[in-house]
Amino acid sequence: MNRVLIAMILWLMVLVQHVYAQDTCNINIKCRVVETHSGQSLFPVSAYIDEMKREFEVDEDGRFEIDNACSGTYHIHFHAAGYEHLVKEIKISANASLKFSLSHIDKELAEVVVSDDRAKTIIQSKGNINRLDIVSNSGKTLGDMLQNVNGVSVLSNGATIAKPVIHGLHSNRIIILNNGIRQEDQQWGGEHAPNIDPFLANNITVLKGASGVRYGTDAIGGVVLVEPSAVRTMIGWGGEVNLAGFSNNRMGVASATVEHGFKYIKGLGIRLQGTLKQGGNYHIPDYWAANTGTEEQNYSATMAYKRAHFGVEAFYSHFNTKLGIYRGSHTGNQADLMAAINSDTPLVNAGFSYQIDRPMQHVVHDLAKLKMNTDTRAGALSLVYAYQHNYRQEYDIIRGNSDKAQLNLTLNTQSLNLNLEHKPVAGISGQVGIDGTYQENYMRDGDRVFIPNYRSPGFAAYIIERYRLNKVTLEAGARYDYRHYEVFNPEGNNQTIVRYLFDYSNASGTIGLRYKPKPNWEWSVTLANAWRAPQASELFSSGLHHGAARIELGDKKLKPEKAYSLNIETGYNVPDKLHLELSLYSQYINDFIYLKPDADILTIRGYFKSFRYTQTNAWLNGIDASVRYYPVKSLETHLKASILFARDVQQKDWLILMPADRISGGIKYSFNLGKTIKDVYVGADGRYVFRQWRIPANFDQIDYPHPPADYFVMDAEAGVTIMRSGHPIYFSITVMNALNQQYRDYLDAFRYFINQPGTNVVLRLRVPFNFYGLISKN
Amino acid sequence: MKNNIIKYATIATLAAVSFTACKKDEVATPTPVEQELITTVKLNVTNSEGFNKTFVYKVENGFGSTTQGTVTKDDIVLAPGKQYDVEVTLLNEKKSPAEDVTEEVKNESNDHLFLFQSAPVTGAGSVSFSDGNKDGNGNPLNQKIKFTTATAGTGALTLTLKHEPTNKAATTPDAAGGETDVEAIFNVKLQ
Repeated sequence: MNRVLIAMILWLMVLVQHVYAQDTCNINIKCRVVETHSGQSLFPVSAYIDEMKREFEVDEDGRFEIDNACSGTYHIHFHAAGYEHLVKEIKISANASLKFSLSHIDKELAEVVVSDDRAKTIIQSKGNINRLDIVSNSGKTLGDMLQNVNGVSVLSNGATIAKPVIHGLHSNRIIILNNGIRQEDQQWGGEHAPNIDPFLANNITVLKGASGVRYGTDAIGGVVLVEPSAVRTMIGWGGEVNLAGFSNNRMGVASATVEHGFKYIKGLGIRLQGTLKQGGNYHIPDYWAANTGTEEQNYSATMAYKRAHFGVEAFYSHFNTKLGIYRGSHTGNQADLMAAINSDTPLVNAGFSYQIDRPMQHVVHDLAKLKMNTDTRAGALSLVYAYQHNYRQEYDIIRGNSDKAQLNLTLNTQSLNLNLEHKPVAGISGQVGIDGTYQENYMRDGDRVFIPNYRSPGFAAYIIERYRLNKVTLEAGARYDYRHYEVFNPEGNNQTIVRYLFDYSNASGTIGLRYKPKPNWEWSVTLANAWRAPQASELFSSGLHHGAARIELGDKKLKPEKAYSLNIETGYNVPDKLHLELSLYSQYINDFIYLKPDADILTIRGYFKSFRYTQTNAWLNGIDASVRYYPVKSLETHLKASILFARDVQQKDWLILMPADRISGGIKYSFNLGKTIKDVYVGADGRYVFRQWRIPANFDQIDYPHPPADYFVMDAEAGVTIMRSGHPIYFSITVMNALNQQYRDYLDAFRYFINQPGTNVVLRLRVPFNFYGLISKN
Repeated sequence: MKNNIIKYATIATLAAVSFTACKKDEVATPTPVEQELITTVKLNVTNSEGFNKTFVYKVENGFGSTTQGTVTKDDIVLAPGKQYDVEVTLLNEKKSPAEDVTEEVKNESNDHLFLFQSAPVTGAGSVSFSDGNKDGNGNPLNQKIKFTTATAGTGALTLTLKHEPTNKAATTPDAAGGETDVEAIFNVKLQ
C-alpha cells in the first residue's frame, strides 16, 4: 500500500509540470445543435467534451449549456443516430452562444459513433449523480453514493455492505446496469452488495419506478445505470488519480485511470483503470465494531476502435472484495440473539484491526464485454455480447481450523443484445431490439444447503418509439419476455435430486408523456409496468439466517410478481437561481412476494422462528420533493424530502422493512481566492430520518425490537482547487457524522446489535491530467 | 458495409455457439452437507452403586434444515438424594456410521463450554452440578460433570453447548456469550 502511494505521488509530481492555459473558470457557453440542411433542432444528441470528461444532456430543442468552464481549448464530440460524428475544436475565453450543425449520413461518406445514452431519452422519473458528485464521494460504496438521489435509501449491514433501495424496493426488484450490462451478481441476499467499483463511473443515473420495457425482467423498483465515460480515441494521453483517506476505519483508497489515443492507428484508444481499498474495523461512538474490515482490488481495461460508421469496444473488469461481518451479528440461536439485542454494550468487543476473520464474505466478479456498432441506412445498429462470472464465498464461524468457505456460489451469465436505433420515420424515432440470456448457478460439493443449482435461458424482444409535437413528447414501448428455469433441488432425508421445470413469460408496456409549457418548466407522466419471475431462493430456499436466527422456507408454487407504476413529475428550473422538482408515484404490485411468519421449528439449538415466502398485493405510494435555491450565485441551499406509504392490500396493513420518511438539507458557499487557489467551497448537510412507525400490526411476532428512533446526522465539507502551472489539483475534506451522533437505522441489519459509525473525517485528492500528443516532444 | 455484415454474422454465430455449449450434467446439484452438524446429545449417567443409563436427546435433522424430522427426547429418571457421574457425548447421526463430534469439541476445549441449568434451581425435582472437567487452560469445559439430585419431584434440565464463549466462568448461556451450538431440554423425574 505504501509503495503504491509513493509511486503515485512521484507520478503526480511529474505530471503537474505540464502546462496548458486555464485562467478563469466561470464562463458559460450556450450551445445549440441543429440539422445542417433544415436548420431544425436535433434530438436526441449526445455531446461530450474530452478535456472536461463531461457529457452534456441536450434537451429536445437541441440546446445545452457548458457552465463554469475555464478558458481554454476544448474538443467537443456530437453523436446522433443517423448523423455524422462531429468533433469540433472550440476556444473558450468569454461567455458565448455557439451553434453546431450535424449532417445526415449519405450514401457516400459519414461517420457515426453511437453512444449509450438511451436512458437519457427515456421519459421517466430519474435522479443523477454526475462525475463531480462521484469524485467528491470517492471511496464510498455504490450504495452509499446513491443515497444522494432523492427517493433512494440504503439497505446495509453496517458501514461496509450497502445496497440501494429505490422507492422502498431493492435486491431483485431493481436492476443495476454496469457499463450497459445488466449486473448479475446474486443480489437476492440483503447482505449482498453490488459488486461494482464506483471509480469506473463517469455518470450514474437512477430510473425510478417500473422500467420493464427497456431493461427487462426484475426492473420493478427501478434501474441504476453506472456509465463510464467514452474511451479517449483522440491522440495523446489522459487520466486521473484519486486518493482518499478515511479516519473512522483508517481506510485508504487509491484509484488511477490512464487513457491513450494512438497516433498511428487513428481511432484506436485504450483505458486502464485500477482501484485499491483497505479499511479496518470501524468505530461506533465508544466502541470498535469487531471484524468489520474491508478490502477491495479492482481493475478494468477498455479498448475502443472508432471508424467511420463502425466502432468496436472491448471491456473487461475484475472486482474482488473481502468483507468482514460484525462478529456479534453471528448468533447461534434465538436466545443468543435476544441476549445480543438486549445488551447495552456490544457483546463482542475489539480494538482496531485490519484483520478480517470469520464470519466474512469473499466475492469476485468478472465482466467481459464486446460491443460493436455500425451506422446503416436504417439507423444505428449495435450488438453487445457479455459474459459475467460471479463467485461468492461465505465463511461461517466454525469449529476447527479449516480455511474452507461454507458456501461457494457461482453464477455465470451470458447475454446478447441487438439494438437498432432507427432513423426517424414520419417524425417517429425510437429503437427496437432483442435480448438473449443464459444463466447457470451452481454450488460446490460439500456446501451448506442454500440455493439449488439451476440453469435458465431467456429471450426478449422490445420496441420503444417516440413522437414529438411542439411542446409535447409522447413515448410508448412494448416488450415480451420469456424465461425458462431448470432447477435441480435436493429433497427429503436422502437429499435425492428432483428436477423442476418452470416457464415464465410476460408482456410489458410503457407510455410516457412530456409536456413543456415553458422552456424552463416541464411536466412528465409515465405509466409503466414490469415483472419478475420468482427467484430460486424464493422457490426453494431452506436458508437459515445466522444474523436474524430464523429459518426461511421457499414455495415452489409462487407466481411471477407484476408491477404497475404511475409517475407524475414536474420540474422548474432557473439556472443559478432556482430548481424545483416534485415527483408523485404510485405503484401496485400484484403477487408481491414477502416472508410470512410460519410455525416454529425445533433444531438441536432449540426452537427457531420460521418464515415462508408468500404472496400478497402491495401498493406503494410516495412523494419525492426537492428545492435548490441560490440567494446569490455563490451560495447554494437545498432541501429534499421523501415520503413512502407501503401497504399490504390484502392484509390491509403496512409492509415491513420499508424506508422511513426523511428530510435533508444543505448549504454550500463557493468563492475564488485568486488564480492559483480557486473554487473554494465550504458546506454542511443534515439528514433527519423519522422513526418508521408504519409497521405491520403483527410486528412483535416477526421482529424485535421495534424500528429505531428518529435521528439527525450532520456532515460538513470543504474543498479547494489549486492550480499548479495551470493544472488543477482538487483537494477536499469531509466530516461525516460530524456530531458523533449515536443512532441506528431501520434498514441496517446491524441495528439489532450496534450503532452506526461515529465521526469519519475524509481527505480526498484528485489530479486529472491530459496531454495532446505532446508527451513525446517533452 | 458488406464486411461489417460479415463481421456481425461471425460474432453472432460465435455467441450462439457459446450460449449452447454447456454440458448437460454439469449443473446437477451436488449433495449438500450441513457442516459440523450435531443431531444427538447423549448423557451417560453412572454411579458407584452400579447405575448406568444413557439418556438421549435427538433432533433428526439437527440444524439448518426446514424440517425437524423425528425428535427423540428421553426423560432423565434418577433417584432423589444421590450423586451421579455424567459424561456428554455429541453425535452427527446423519453420517453413517455416526460421527462422534465430542472429540472435536474436546480438541478445542478452550473454545467450548457446556452449561447445565436446572428448573427449579433448588428444592424438589432439582439437580445441582459440580466438579466439571476443565479445558486446556484450566477453565471449565464441563463435558464431564457430577449431578446431585434433590428430593423427589419433577423438573427440567437444559444443556447448552457454547462455541467461543466470552466468559468461561459463566453458569448461564447469556452470561457466557459466544454462540449456541446445542440447546437440549430434558424432562427430569426424581423418583
